[in-house]
Amino acid sequence: MAGIYGEASWFCCGNAWGPCASTGHGACGTCNSGSRQHAWPNTSDACFAITHPDTCGEPLSRRGCGFKHYTTNRCNGLKVGTTIADCGPQTDLWCGERTCCGSACGSNRIIDLTASAFSAISSLSVGVRPVLVDVV
Amino acid sequence: MDTTINRRRLLSAAVLSGAGIVGATALGSLAPEAAFAADPVEVDPGAPDPNFVEGRISSITGTTLLVNSSDGSLHRLQITVATSIWKLHPAGFEAIAVGDGLYARGVRMPDGSLATDSLWLNIVNVQGHVAAIGRNVLHLDHKGRRIVAHAVPGRSAAVYNGTPAVSDLSMIKVGGHVQVLGAWHPDTNEIDIATVYARA
Repeated sequence: MAGIYGEASWFCCGNAWGPCASTGHGACGTCNSGSRQHAWPNTSDACFAITHPDTCGEPLSRRGCGFKHYTTNRCNGLKVGTTIADCGPQTDLWCGERTCCGSACGSNRIIDLTASAFSAISSLSVGVRPVLVDVV
Repeated sequence: MDTTINRRRLLSAAVLSGAGIVGATALGSLAPEAAFAADPVEVDPGAPDPNFVEGRISSITGTTLLVNSSDGSLHRLQITVATSIWKLHPAGFEAIAVGDGLYARGVRMPDGSLATDSLWLNIVNVQGHVAAIGRNVLHLDHKGRRIVAHAVPGRSAAVYNGTPAVSDLSMIKVGGHVQVLGAWHPDTNEIDIATVYARA
């Protein structure tokens, strides 16, 4: 898989406080905000039927629970390795959205990182970042 | 990267020298966007992150926070002059309160405490459908539950399709899908909006 340019956000899962308390451990049953994990829009047929990244022109490969991706924040070059633990983001709800840092831009939401993973490459107070997602 | 390394050295030195007892407000806080740290400790993909803490504050003693994580574990967080604090916006030590939820990133000290680099208080990043709109308030359906999201004049901003943030939230529509980055009001279903992301 060649690297894919797009947008990343963050989410909470597992044991949690506040509005996250009802989230649960995700589609893979292993998701925790404090672990280096992520959600991927194409983990199964059922997942793909919800997220439909194809409607935004994103040919995202089928990847199962535990698959490793490496996400680079294009605003600062920081990179984090994570494994798939949930289905998401719901890419089709954000088709055409574009996030930039200067000339580095990303369109369409292709990955959601756990709070732990996102905070390793960006502040949590920034909700969306342009990223490069790869397998190495 | 040099900036990050220097920052981490500063953080560790601040804790080890006892500078943590100096109130962070004496120097103010650094903006979280500039303060998060790259992690020099390799963490395997999928593994728990030893330099990250999630939970709620059960007590504050001096500049040490005792935090109960949602998985039942206990953590001690040391706040120093180098800690960046976010609570709807960059804040000072005085903003920290017992009962606050938090995410924190920092450096583990030899005694097991976390020298806190970045502290996000009550931060939430939720998605939902807009069920109703009132004066300075959005009612969201989020995973089958209602969240009341308050617009804070002078602080809340909207990003439409990734365009630069604006203070005008009027283009948000009932029935639309939004993402709200904000600050939870502890033990309620209410949040304050920092940024709401929406399709125009």
